[in-house]
Amino acid sequence: MNSLVRQFLITDADRETERSSELTNEDRPSDALWGSQAGFGHLVEGHAFNIPAVPDPSAFLRLHTDDHADPNCKIKIQHGTTTLAFRFQGGVIVAVDSRATAGSYIASGTVKKVIEINPYLLGTMAGGAADCQYWETYLGIQCRLHELRNRERISVAAASKYLSNLVYSYKGMGLSMGTMICGWDKTGPTIFYVDSDGSRLKGDLFSVGSGSTFAYGVLDQGYRWDMTDEEAQELGRRSIYAAGHRDAFSGNTCNLYHVKEDGWKFIGNYDITKLHYDGPGAVPGAPGGGYGYDVRTDSRFSTLSEPVAA
Amino acid sequence: MATADGGAYSYSLTVFSPSGKLVQIEHALAAVSQGTTSLGIKASNGIVIATEKKSSSILIDDSMLEKVAVICPNIGIVYSGMGPDFRILIAKARKSAQAYWKIYGEYPPTRVLTQEIATVMQEATQSGGVRPYGVSLLVAGYDSNRGPTLYQVDPSGSFWAWKASAIGKNMTNAKTFLEKRYNDDISLEDAIHTALLTLKEGFEGQMTEKTIEIGVVTVPTLAELEEGKIGGVTGRVKPTFRKLTEEEVRDYLAL
Amino acid sequence: MSIMEHNGGSVIAMAGKDCVAIASDLRLGAGAMTVAMNFEKIFPVSDRIYLGLTGLATDITTLRDRFRYLVNMFTIKESRTIEPSTFAHLVSSTLYSRRFGPYFTEPVIAGLERTPSGGLKPYIAGADLIGCLNFAEDFIVAGTASDKLFGVAEGLWEPNLGPEDLFETISQTLLNSVDRDAYSGWGAIVYVITPEKVITRTLKGRMD
Repeated sequence: MNSLVRQFLITDADRETERSSELTNEDRPSDALWGSQAGFGHLVEGHAFNIPAVPDPSAFLRLHTDDHADPNCKIKIQHGTTTLAFRFQGGVIVAVDSRATAGSYIASGTVKKVIEINPYLLGTMAGGAADCQYWETYLGIQCRLHELRNRERISVAAASKYLSNLVYSYKGMGLSMGTMICGWDKTGPTIFYVDSDGSRLKGDLFSVGSGSTFAYGVLDQGYRWDMTDEEAQELGRRSIYAAGHRDAFSGNTCNLYHVKEDGWKFIGNYDITKLHYDGPGAVPGAPGGGYGYDVRTDSRFSTLSEPVAA
Repeated sequence: MATADGGAYSYSLTVFSPSGKLVQIEHALAAVSQGTTSLGIKASNGIVIATEKKSSSILIDDSMLEKVAVICPNIGIVYSGMGPDFRILIAKARKSAQAYWKIYGEYPPTRVLTQEIATVMQEATQSGGVRPYGVSLLVAGYDSNRGPTLYQVDPSGSFWAWKASAIGKNMTNAKTFLEKRYNDDISLEDAIHTALLTLKEGFEGQMTEKTIEIGVVTVPTLAELEEGKIGGVTGRVKPTFRKLTEEEVRDYLAL
Repeated sequence: MSIMEHNGGSVIAMAGKDCVAIASDLRLGAGAMTVAMNFEKIFPVSDRIYLGLTGLATDITTLRDRFRYLVNMFTIKESRTIEPSTFAHLVSSTLYSRRFGPYFTEPVIAGLERTPSGGLKPYIAGADLIGCLNFAEDFIVAGTASDKLFGVAEGLWEPNLGPEDLFETISQTLLNSVDRDAYSGWGAIVYVITPEKVITRTLKGRMD
């Protein structure tokens, strides 16, 4: 970089890193880290992550990230979530909630848990938010490089395997991810479930997260291969509602995506409380009215409107 | 069967005689009526309880005798009958008052404490191997619910609220005297004098501050009640029952 | 997982001018799973005392019954109605009697106390699970959202609120606090106690 330009471009943060690296005798981070390589420079150039200078780094990490064993640990990993994806005649439906919790505290209600890897690939986020975000973005880079090298789009199978192999290489280091890589390739609509244990499963229907059992309940009951697009979208929406309603760690809003032959499309963002009381509004496929059990039954299940004759 | 000694129905276990009497209780009442006279008068603004303190020998240090007992800051008791039995009852009453305080953070209303003592006395009439308590009690107290109240408890465990009552020796005469003197708007000062006059009726010997014991209940002012509440200046209940000092008794006797 | 968080739920009480309010959410959970949205945690003790209980649901219902028994016994024995401060001490000693095997509940008491001059004064109190009483002039919070409730109440409460303003304040405080707590919410109920009457209102809340 031109040194004159650099002089005016240098930021406080740069100075701070420079100063601290002087103090610690570390190498100054290369420009590649912050430049066109979008923070992945150190990986691309064969560098690795900074590892804590302790005899057993993964034990050290576990000590600070395992909030099951120690709720007061420094690094919180997001456990509560509901994500789902299913394949059907019209493509792939991907639906997720938007809640982030730290313990019982609802830290955010507007989290984007669908990661748009590229116009044909979506990844869902469950487990460690940072892990999912970072590695799925990184996956996006590798998918683009594949495209440039091979003059064709990467298959969902290949993309998911790339991610699976990658997280496996970090096994035991505390990565936490449960993701579904969804897309449309030469073979048609495809879903792979990939997690940080190293599992990689191909399937028609998955749900991941603390609310997955509730989502599966609705999903399994309503699933058919030959659904219309509208029916499928409604099923995804209704399933995330069910999870958001019953699971304390899921909720706030539902983000709905539909992957078709020409790539994914964002269908909408739905407030789960609104879905409970009023339903999704005038959207195709919705029966009209709220999803809430007490709303639908008008509370007739627990009270008698007329007194019982003696 | 009902001979002077109680016959077959005078064992320590209290049993009914065929005529429906509990002879042991009647004997206990007889013990009470041999005891020194005690009386209580409820006035418009308080209560006085008083008793005669008689020692059998001039050699006894009567300053240590206590016949009017403080149970808790709002309740006091006087008795006629057997001193040792009374001692047991006040120990139980004081414990009961403190137990109540531990649960509710306040001292028991007069009626609740009276009922508690009455229950103890009743149990002695229905349990094996015990005899009834040989005392009658006059319980005087103040509580925010019922104001100043005066109760009498008998060996049977029965209790009533009184405007004025007397127990022990000469109780019949004393009651007749009180009936004549009592009116509903008598003041505490007048009630104390009436109490002393009533005691004088059957008194043998000289009535002095050494031979008389007096306890009084005073109705607290609004300010005093507020102070007793949590967040008040002291947070401590100002006693509404207290015993008169010998000086105070002397002053009343002089009048 | 904490036993105090297993069923979830929160209660708040606030003092106003000649009135008090007490409110709770309606969730009953089993860990992360919400199993009921009509689980009430506030119970009348007398016509001017309400008791809110948070914590373990089985202990909430047990203590509700126990206090009903104790207060009924008190009322009959003493032929008078119990005062809020007296009831608070009863709650405290009942909980402390289980010092080494406690009920897992944190109670909140709201009522109007009879003053010596015959008036009625707002009274609110809370206690921990072994009965340490906490008297406050402003508000008392308990339950899984208690930290959030503290923050919001600290911001919204002001002295001498009338019944309607107090209702608005306690409702907004509760609703906004439980929206940041995973274990509370799914509807709410509010009681405003005034010398004349008790106003009861159920609130629509977020259902997730």
